[in-house]
Amino acid sequence: MTKRVDAIVVGLGASGGIIAAELAKAGTKVVAFEKGPDYSSEDFILKHDEIRYFARGAMVPQMDTDPMTWRAGSNQVATLLPWASGPLGLADPLHLPPSLGTGGGSNHWGGAAWRFRASEFRMRSAIIERFGARGLPEGTDIVDWPISYDDLEPYYDRTEWQLGISGRAGNIKGKLIEGGNPFESPRQRDFPMPPLRQGPADERFVEACRRLGFHPFPQAAAIASVEFKGRSGCVYCGFCHGYPCHVNAKTSTMVASIPEGLASGNLEIRPFSRVYKVNRSEGGRRVTGVSYFDAEGTHQELDAGKVVLACYALENTRLLLVSGVNRNGMTGKYFMTHAYGWYAGLMPEWSNPFMAPLTAASCISDHAGELIPDNDLGVVWGSGVTSWPGETQPIEGSRYAPENMPRWGKPYKDWMRENYRRLYSMYAQTSNFPSERYYCDLDPNVKDSFGQAALRITHEWTDHDKASVEFHLGIKRRIAKEMGVQPLWEEPAAPAFHLSTHEVGTHRMGEDPARSVVNAYGETHECDNLYATGGGQFPTYGGYNPTQTIMALAFMTAGHIINRR
Amino acid sequence: MVANSHDSGPRTAYMFFTDQEARTVSAMAERIIPGDSSGAGASDADVIIYIDRALAGYGRHLQKLYRLGTGSIDRLAAATRKGSRFVDLSPAEQDELLSRLSTWLFAKGDEKPDEERTLLVQFFGAVRLHTIEGMFCDPMYGGNRDCVGWMLIGFPGAQWGYTAEQMKLGFDATTIPPKTLSELRQDYRAGKVDTEEVRK
Repeated sequence: MTKRVDAIVVGLGASGGIIAAELAKAGTKVVAFEKGPDYSSEDFILKHDEIRYFARGAMVPQMDTDPMTWRAGSNQVATLLPWASGPLGLADPLHLPPSLGTGGGSNHWGGAAWRFRASEFRMRSAIIERFGARGLPEGTDIVDWPISYDDLEPYYDRTEWQLGISGRAGNIKGKLIEGGNPFESPRQRDFPMPPLRQGPADERFVEACRRLGFHPFPQAAAIASVEFKGRSGCVYCGFCHGYPCHVNAKTSTMVASIPEGLASGNLEIRPFSRVYKVNRSEGGRRVTGVSYFDAEGTHQELDAGKVVLACYALENTRLLLVSGVNRNGMTGKYFMTHAYGWYAGLMPEWSNPFMAPLTAASCISDHAGELIPDNDLGVVWGSGVTSWPGETQPIEGSRYAPENMPRWGKPYKDWMRENYRRLYSMYAQTSNFPSERYYCDLDPNVKDSFGQAALRITHEWTDHDKASVEFHLGIKRRIAKEMGVQPLWEEPAAPAFHLSTHEVGTHRMGEDPARSVVNAYGETHECDNLYATGGGQFPTYGGYNPTQTIMALAFMTAGHIINRR
Repeated sequence: MVANSHDSGPRTAYMFFTDQEARTVSAMAERIIPGDSSGAGASDADVIIYIDRALAGYGRHLQKLYRLGTGSIDRLAAATRKGSRFVDLSPAEQDELLSRLSTWLFAKGDEKPDEERTLLVQFFGAVRLHTIEGMFCDPMYGGNRDCVGWMLIGFPGAQWGYTAEQMKLGFDATTIPPKTLSELRQDYRAGKVDTEEVRK
């Protein structure tokens, strides 16, 4: 077994899967560690199983092996994630960390692909320009990113063309394109593939939005709409978010990135390996390698010139903390997540909500970011609204019954029989502002099965979060009414969960080593050649799915590491 | 649809339940999703087999809850009608008892329930969730026998994909014969799955 390599990558998901492959292709000897299996496409051919992947979250970490705790405030004792533990704890992937195994969360993600708009990279400046400094909500630490949209644009482009994203451009070099998002920031060229076919109810969403004066456009998707580099286009099976893809249409780093890394001969994957510590030189100034438990549970060490932690914002943070990478006290701060603001209703026609991926949908950005109009709720940063016409399988669908109806008995059965095939919903991920009140640290009581401290999350929804959910529900209600959709329920403004698989912020990037953990390339300020990449880098968080930005940052990091060799 | 009698049950042995426990849980499941002329219920779908197999495997951390819960619900039944177990009550009496548990389960409030009530509420919650899973799971898990749960709601099961024609708004999905994962597997192994055809 190799005892020293050029680079170690921990986690082969949306970030690590790109970095490991790009480094290997450039000639770097890489060992990549994965907690889960080394998946191949063959493993996913018969994935059409709601019990296995949704009800029992087959690919995501569960509380018995990867415990995590939560509390609402620093004055409370944290408990195992309440929504995911106990007799009625749910195991479904939407409110747990993302999948383990080669490809990570990119195996099972819904594939909603977004470039952050230019204003998202300068949220502090944008808010101050509009409202003055008093516009920054109390208790928050909103900053500008250390990079701009223009800095990241070439990497967004590379994500789309190298890995495969389908969609319709709205703004190519300043020229607005009919049918795309008129509010998107300028891009150098179109997508490599046209948008996916729309889910059944989506056309009604588009018509209603147009009548209301909004500007609907197709959701860009990390799902091939036509054959792409030998991968099939989508077949609209409807088992998408939470499920791996059976035809390789979904852009997982397992199919889109890692094979090229393996083909170079420079990438070795070690599955079922659990990195538990980053090792550093005496004085801690330089990384030297990692310690891990191998597939048999035996303690091992591997030395490397560079170590990249890419195993999700939360697990990255846990590893940084147990390795003592927190000299300035910033590691773990600024935990941010998403509320989805679900709005559910019934269509007059059969909507067949079990067909098609969630991305076979349309969106509006009319109220996103700084475009949000002045409003009585005091919301200072808006979000897009997205149609959700597909992917609602029966067990998930059973949760859609209206609140005033008993969830059992003949009326409930009749309700399912009459209405399952007419379900429709919309969502709007609302921004979550960075605050020192909400953070991650090591739980003093709960340990994992290897005796290591579990990550403790301290988070509660703020008044702005709730106001933001309410504001966007107002838009959804208008759209639903225009669609002729009969209302069913709305998610509470302060949801019961605090994980959305979209956690970010906990190893913030910045130029000031006193106020951030990593720089724009993800390299930690305090430990040379130690990187922590992914959503944990985000200094602020708007209403967009994070993954395409994570992928773009990964390309940027990989390029930087390669150029520095 | 004639529901299975609670006494005879499905023709199987149980991996976890005693016969009496299975009768109790079957009776609860049948109240949660009752079978009638409008469509299949929990007994028709063999939900009890799903629950039994789940408790013997993936859900074995719930074995104690079920063991204690079945005893506890029988005590509650005896309070309704002396000497009765849950299976001895009439459907209307069973519904009344479950209504109370449901109210407690879905209540939003700060009132802290006692231990027995907590146990009953968690037990009802688990049986309810398992009943739904057992109605709509792939039949290989033991429930949704002959796809009766899927046919109840018009869900076509494990389809390789859907065509543009099928994805039109208003399309009647009951015209697509439901497919189990086992059948899809056989199709795949026999080379009968045509990705290009489905993409039309």
